[in-house]
Amino acid sequence: MSAFLLSVGWRSVLASLALAGVVVACAKTERPRVPAADRDDYDTPIVVAAPAERIVSLNPTSTEILFALGAGSRLVGRSRWDNWPAAARAVPDVGDAMRPSVEQILAVRPTLVVLYASGDNRDAAAALQAAGIRVVALKIDRIADFTRGVLMLGRLSGTDIAARIIVDSVGRSLARVRDAMRNTQRPTVFIHVWDNPLMAIGGGSFLSELVEIAGAKNVYADLSDPSAQVSFEDLLRRAPDAILAGPDAAARLSAEPRWRALGAVRNGKLLTYDTSLVARPSVRLGEAARSLAALFHPERAIP
Amino acid sequence: MIAYREVSVRYLKGALLALDRVSLGAERGVVTAVVGPNGSGKSSLVRALLGSVPLASGHVEIDGTVTRVLGRSGLARRVAVVAQREEPAFPLSVVDYVSLGRFPRQGAWSPAGVVDLDAVSRAMQAALVDTLALRRTNTLSGGEWQRVRVARALAQETDAVVFDEPTTFLDIAHEMACFELLSAIAHAGRCVLVVSHQLNLVARFADRVVLLSHGQVVADGTPSDVMRGETLERVYEWPLVVSRDPAVGAPTLVPLRKRRSPIA
Amino acid sequence: MTASRLWVVLVAVLLAACVMALMAGAVSIPPAEVWGALIRGDGDPTTLAIVRVVRLPRVVLGALVGAALGVSGAVLQGALRNALAEPYLLGVSGGAAVGAVLAVAGGVVAPALIALSAFGGALLAVGAVLTLAHAAGERGDARVLLMAGVVVGAFANAAIMVVMATASPDTTRNALWWMMGSVAAAGWRDVILLGSVLTLVGGALLHRARQLDVLALGGESAESLGVDVARSGTVFFVLASLLAAATVAAAGLVGFVGLMVPHFARALTGGRHRVVLVAAALVGAALVVGADVVARTSRAPAELPLGAVTALVGVPFFLWRLRRVL
Repeated sequence: MSAFLLSVGWRSVLASLALAGVVVACAKTERPRVPAADRDDYDTPIVVAAPAERIVSLNPTSTEILFALGAGSRLVGRSRWDNWPAAARAVPDVGDAMRPSVEQILAVRPTLVVLYASGDNRDAAAALQAAGIRVVALKIDRIADFTRGVLMLGRLSGTDIAARIIVDSVGRSLARVRDAMRNTQRPTVFIHVWDNPLMAIGGGSFLSELVEIAGAKNVYADLSDPSAQVSFEDLLRRAPDAILAGPDAAARLSAEPRWRALGAVRNGKLLTYDTSLVARPSVRLGEAARSLAALFHPERAIP
Repeated sequence: MIAYREVSVRYLKGALLALDRVSLGAERGVVTAVVGPNGSGKSSLVRALLGSVPLASGHVEIDGTVTRVLGRSGLARRVAVVAQREEPAFPLSVVDYVSLGRFPRQGAWSPAGVVDLDAVSRAMQAALVDTLALRRTNTLSGGEWQRVRVARALAQETDAVVFDEPTTFLDIAHEMACFELLSAIAHAGRCVLVVSHQLNLVARFADRVVLLSHGQVVADGTPSDVMRGETLERVYEWPLVVSRDPAVGAPTLVPLRKRRSPIA
Repeated sequence: MTASRLWVVLVAVLLAACVMALMAGAVSIPPAEVWGALIRGDGDPTTLAIVRVVRLPRVVLGALVGAALGVSGAVLQGALRNALAEPYLLGVSGGAAVGAVLAVAGGVVAPALIALSAFGGALLAVGAVLTLAHAAGERGDARVLLMAGVVVGAFANAAIMVVMATASPDTTRNALWWMMGSVAAAGWRDVILLGSVLTLVGGALLHRARQLDVLALGGESAESLGVDVARSGTVFFVLASLLAAATVAAAGLVGFVGLMVPHFARALTGGRHRVVLVAAALVGAALVVGADVVARTSRAPAELPLGAVTALVGVPFFLWRLRRVL
């Protein structure tokens, strides 16, 4: 009898936890984060001493930024997901980006560790700080987060000047695209990243911002979270003019009957974007915006 | 009708034989009883008949045909068994329960025909449970449940009915009623084989008694032949006295209290 | 309640649940428009799409899943003579979950392939359970089967945990979502597949329903009535697990339905399995259709997993049963 209850109990506990998680996630009100220049995303004050000489970066975005800042040679460790740029692969892999092995990080003797600022990593942050290592946690969802992150990493690695150049250049290239797209018809767009369950990209994501810059309108911009789960019915009701998807996803969606119920799919407005370019905020944001603009408004030239 | 021929049963390799070359027969119209102390092999007899245990040697015949040749459903159409205990996992109405006795003749699919309904109704009348038809099996008393189980066996309309310890959990009145029923079934023409530990009831109701001890047949005959003091004392290893009360008309067994033994 | 009146009530309840499910959803559509879209096929394209492409297959699939789970649970409870038996017992859920998780971790994204992998995993697990029980020497003994089921289930859980611990967050989320059960991505192809399996296997089970009645009496009694307990039991386990595996392929793990529904079915009908199985199908269908409405609407526009809703319903159910025992 206990065996029954055990097997039944496991599933019911899992289901209840999942339900609780969903409830909590929905109940939590997302205050718009006001990024402070001198605090990281765990709200820890940043202390800038000498530039960090040995850096471990456990996050594709921050790894890419550090290489762009010219501090790549000082990287002594990266997470297994950090594959860009190509030079990053030569940096030793010290484990996962979430719940990393503190031992493995300590083994490469870093002076600065850059973590992804999620709840999962708080334990690792505390352990590393207790070991006397500087820890910076960043969560880069929006373009403003990216700018702040670049400047912060620049200060920490002593590459302030490079940081300002990058920020400046990204800002200007985005502005060029934004200006070129002024006064266009703005098609409504659904940004597809995942459909099992169906996820929508909300206004709190850089993807949404890129789409707006590129002369379209994110059909889920009213959601403040970077991403949220939505029902397919809701998507049908919002009836986007176009759908943005990666090449594999696009091929699959165009064959599925319920996606064909969307006008965008039937009218051939299932647009494929280059996932490697547009997938995360990087120094190539300008290029990314440009590529999207070319999809939405092929008739417009961008200087 | 039922004939055991040199049947041996062994449960575990190397263990003692539960039944050791047992031969006995049960005929129509007669109550045949099998008695013996615990561990003498009585329950193994029923299992050997049903084929629940593999036989180490020998075979069981029903009207001359070996049980293995008959197959399970063939056997179920000729012999009904009322097991020692039965507890259905989920309650049924009494009439549905008794109707399950028609399964060997009906099979899984064919709907209940007039023949089946008739057999069920007759069986319930014979077992005196026709008034309980719509009761649920989990609301019956011990005596009622016993009679309902007998009704199911009767509904099978077999020539032979085997009872394995039918009077467990029953009081005196119900015990007597049960054996009266057995007797009536036998004298209506069926072959009745009873396995029981109730020596006195057996003495009064059985036409033929087989005494088992350590898996072997030690005596086989009428109750007067088998129920002798020295035989029973030897088999049961307990002092007892066999008397004959004229009011009863059958040997009565009375166990004695143990004399104070010189061994400490 | 007489038999025929019972069927009328059960069918009516199921139909009412289906109608309610078609009316309800993340997007509120007036009933008249739903009706129009459904029957006459008119109305604006969005409404038509929502009603016919999203809601209708979903409701039908939910009903089929509920019916299949109800029947499967009733068969297992009868064959195992235990009121706590449920469709996923003999390794189905563990095997299916391993199949799905491995597919997702291996980069498979197409739902049809994940479903196929889940189905294959379930069949393998059931085979492993039966083989284990057979090797232990007692094919028909319920306790041996249950233990074999626990062993296979434990192994499957361990395998899942290993895969999920080392997988990317996307894999984890996808696998977790699948394991919580959902009919959100229902399409007509799923409906046809599950419907065919339910018809075939359900028909076979109804055909043998009386044998199930005899099995439920217990080993010795069943044998004395001419039933080969070991073989018959195995056939019922396989058929019930096949139904369960098919529902898992269509909708992931939807727990508690197969456990609770047979109790209601037996209470309503009186115990003969031919009737219990049909009642279980109707009650199960109505339950899942209703649960799916809650899953879709309680936290709109987000959706709750179906398995979470049925688990929540399971709690008061168990309390009710406990109260009767206490």
